[in-house]
Amino acid sequence: MRVPLILRIGALVVATTGFYAYVGQMVPQKEVQPPKETAMGSDMTTADMVKVGREIMDGKGLCVTCHTIGKTGALRFPDLGGIGSLAKNRVPGLSDVEYLAQSMYEPTAFVVPGFPPAMPPVNGPPIGLTDQEILSVIAALQTLGGTPTVTMKTTHRYYDGTAAPSGAPAPAAAPAPNAQPEEAQPLAAPKKGTLLRPDDEPGAGSAGALAKAEARQGAGGVAR
Amino acid sequence: MNAVRNRKLLVLLGPVVALLMFAAAVKMASGLLSREFKEPYRASSATAAQTPPAAGLTEEASAAAQKAKPYEEAEYRRFPVVGSRVAIWMVAQLHLLFAAFVLAVPIFALIVEAIGYKTGDLRYDRLAHEFAKLLSVSFSLTATFGAFLTFMLIILYPKFTNYLMSVFSPTFLPYILLFFAEAFFLYTYTYGWGKFHPLVHLGLGLGLNVVGTAIMFIANAWLTFMMSPRGISDAGAVISVSEAINNFTWMPINVHRVIANVAFGGSVAAAYAAFKFLQATSDEERAHYDWMGYIGNFVAISAFLPLPFAGYWLAKEIYAYSQTLGLTMMGGAFSWLFIIQAVLIGNLFLAANYYLWLGMGRVEGAQPIQKVIKYLLITIVLCFMVWATPRSIIATVSEVRAMRGSAHPVLGFLGVMSAKNTAVNILILTTFMSFLLYRRTGKIATVAWAKTGHTAQLVIFAAVAVFVIFLGVYGYFVEATVRIGLSVPQVLSVLLAMVAITAIDIFLFRGASKTGEVRWGRIPAISQYVLIFIAVTFTWLMGLMGYVRSGLRQHWHVYGVIRDTSSDAFTPTLGFATNIVSVTVLVFFLLIGVVFWIASLHDRPDFNRGKSL
Repeated sequence: MRVPLILRIGALVVATTGFYAYVGQMVPQKEVQPPKETAMGSDMTTADMVKVGREIMDGKGLCVTCHTIGKTGALRFPDLGGIGSLAKNRVPGLSDVEYLAQSMYEPTAFVVPGFPPAMPPVNGPPIGLTDQEILSVIAALQTLGGTPTVTMKTTHRYYDGTAAPSGAPAPAAAPAPNAQPEEAQPLAAPKKGTLLRPDDEPGAGSAGALAKAEARQGAGGVAR
Repeated sequence: MNAVRNRKLLVLLGPVVALLMFAAAVKMASGLLSREFKEPYRASSATAAQTPPAAGLTEEASAAAQKAKPYEEAEYRRFPVVGSRVAIWMVAQLHLLFAAFVLAVPIFALIVEAIGYKTGDLRYDRLAHEFAKLLSVSFSLTATFGAFLTFMLIILYPKFTNYLMSVFSPTFLPYILLFFAEAFFLYTYTYGWGKFHPLVHLGLGLGLNVVGTAIMFIANAWLTFMMSPRGISDAGAVISVSEAINNFTWMPINVHRVIANVAFGGSVAAAYAAFKFLQATSDEERAHYDWMGYIGNFVAISAFLPLPFAGYWLAKEIYAYSQTLGLTMMGGAFSWLFIIQAVLIGNLFLAANYYLWLGMGRVEGAQPIQKVIKYLLITIVLCFMVWATPRSIIATVSEVRAMRGSAHPVLGFLGVMSAKNTAVNILILTTFMSFLLYRRTGKIATVAWAKTGHTAQLVIFAAVAVFVIFLGVYGYFVEATVRIGLSVPQVLSVLLAMVAITAIDIFLFRGASKTGEVRWGRIPAISQYVLIFIAVTFTWLMGLMGYVRSGLRQHWHVYGVIRDTSSDAFTPTLGFATNIVSVTVLVFFLLIGVVFWIASLHDRPDFNRGKSL
């Protein structure tokens, strides 16, 4: 019996889509949940802050998306291993807390030589950490090669301990569409196609998507 | 003569009639305005309210008002069963697939028609007309899905939609006006076939393409803004609409979509031709649809070859906007998606080459060229294997320990970008050579410098292949910053080789002698199933890449500005995403089947009423 043409074509279409759906099931399956809001309390101890800080680094802070901890070799972004001790002397005149705070609030103020100035301020969108959360991250970073010293009362040049959190999370819903433009501050986005790419970065402005993935460190998939 | 005179008379009378009608409208309007307004007689409200029916209605209205819940502005509404995200996802994807088809078909219909006009070959005109016949039903379906998508957005995501409208409201009027213009050009182009001077008709086709592309550019501004917002404050207030439109990813998406649409439209048109070929009952029909399928596939693959380069640019701008966004795409939750993409693109290259090789059989005297096919096949398979090799492998704990990590000690080296970029570039170069070989089947160059020309082509091909492989190997011995930069000379050298070899080929085969004729229609039936396979794979690829573009924002409606707080804010597994893509593709092909069927009605014989009665 000869199978009608329409059925043969239908079978081909179903088989092809079925095959690709099957390939989709064969790769690692991971459901990524939105970062949870961290419970912060003013009575948190330094040890609590370290624990919370590590959670933020792995989740909401997105730190480990780019940074590695304890890896060497050809890295795309600075490794955080030993940062607790390195931070004390990295920028003359800045204490470790001041340096670490600066690297998060104003990441392009000092860029580790050999690396691109690509990090966004973590107190702004899309990361949007609060001042207290950043303090916890500083505590966690201090443990990497050093001893944590910060408390919830620690202040630095970006946070005087009394002001309202400058790193307010991004709005959860649509902002007022009729907000006055003259009151608004421009989004902390770079000038198109320039700021995030250093002049001396060989890949700047040219490397392909696949090549960019070189930066990734062992999270599976196509790159390292 | 009389007809010309009548037409001239009509042209003269037209403005006169229009002026008369305008004058009548002005007269009528001024007459109505000059009349005194008189309040119509009504019973006083107090009297009316006392009547029993009125009192009953008032009572009912007040009871209903007490029962009703107060109006609250919803942030989200839930779509039954599948949820809002899946519903929006599928409708948006179907809209985009039809839109891509509607934008692509006019591009090559115009090109084919222009070739027909220039050469005087009526086959081209017939082919272009056949493509154009698919347009009107597809246009209606595109508009229907567009309206459906708009309603779904307003109903399911009202607050977010309201925000997008507030940012982009200045673009809506041009969008609507362009849509009217699109309808005008599309219908005059389709139904006016053979009714105008060829140049006028080509002008209509040009208008259709320009307007269609402009519509797509406007819509692209909305969706790219969601991924790389610009021209707004931290709180989302609009500072500059022009900057919001011209955001980081807008132009790369525009270019990428134009090219991808052509590739997609070509593949679907080739699938249509394949279907008609398989249905054909005469050699003449088979010859025509074989040729149509070949042209459709040629257009598809020609557009497909430069597509990765447009993809590079898009990815570069994503990284330029936000390294976090870029790393999420290539190194985070979506990294394995690019392995699936590699399987799809590898299949496309394999299938396209297979079709070309099958096609060589229809050309007399193609045997010498067919000898090199096996080497091309081996190269393509090797490249495909390298590209699809993941860096880290799913393994058991004991296997991971044995490998000292998730990367295989040997195969892991093929999972990095030095190997993959090299494989992709060689794949593109090989497919290009396959095209070139097909082009010269049945021809012998007769120019005086033929031998030199062939040698130059071979040297360019070999030199670029060696150069690309050398850079790939060199990448293993240098730092990441240097390695990333190596992809540029790889890409540029392949592009340069393609341009240079084509240029030489054009002059080399001018006035070439023929070893035999092309016997259109003399091709195995399996080749037609390959064309359908290519169309399905293209469609699936578009669905997958549409998902990564949109899903990349993860829990943001507008990246970094408006957060998704709905129950669908999480990023689903790739397995789930590929299931949705598959279902959407199946629905699309079901609908495109309907389009083909409706288009074929035109050629059917008229219903014989007398016979049925």
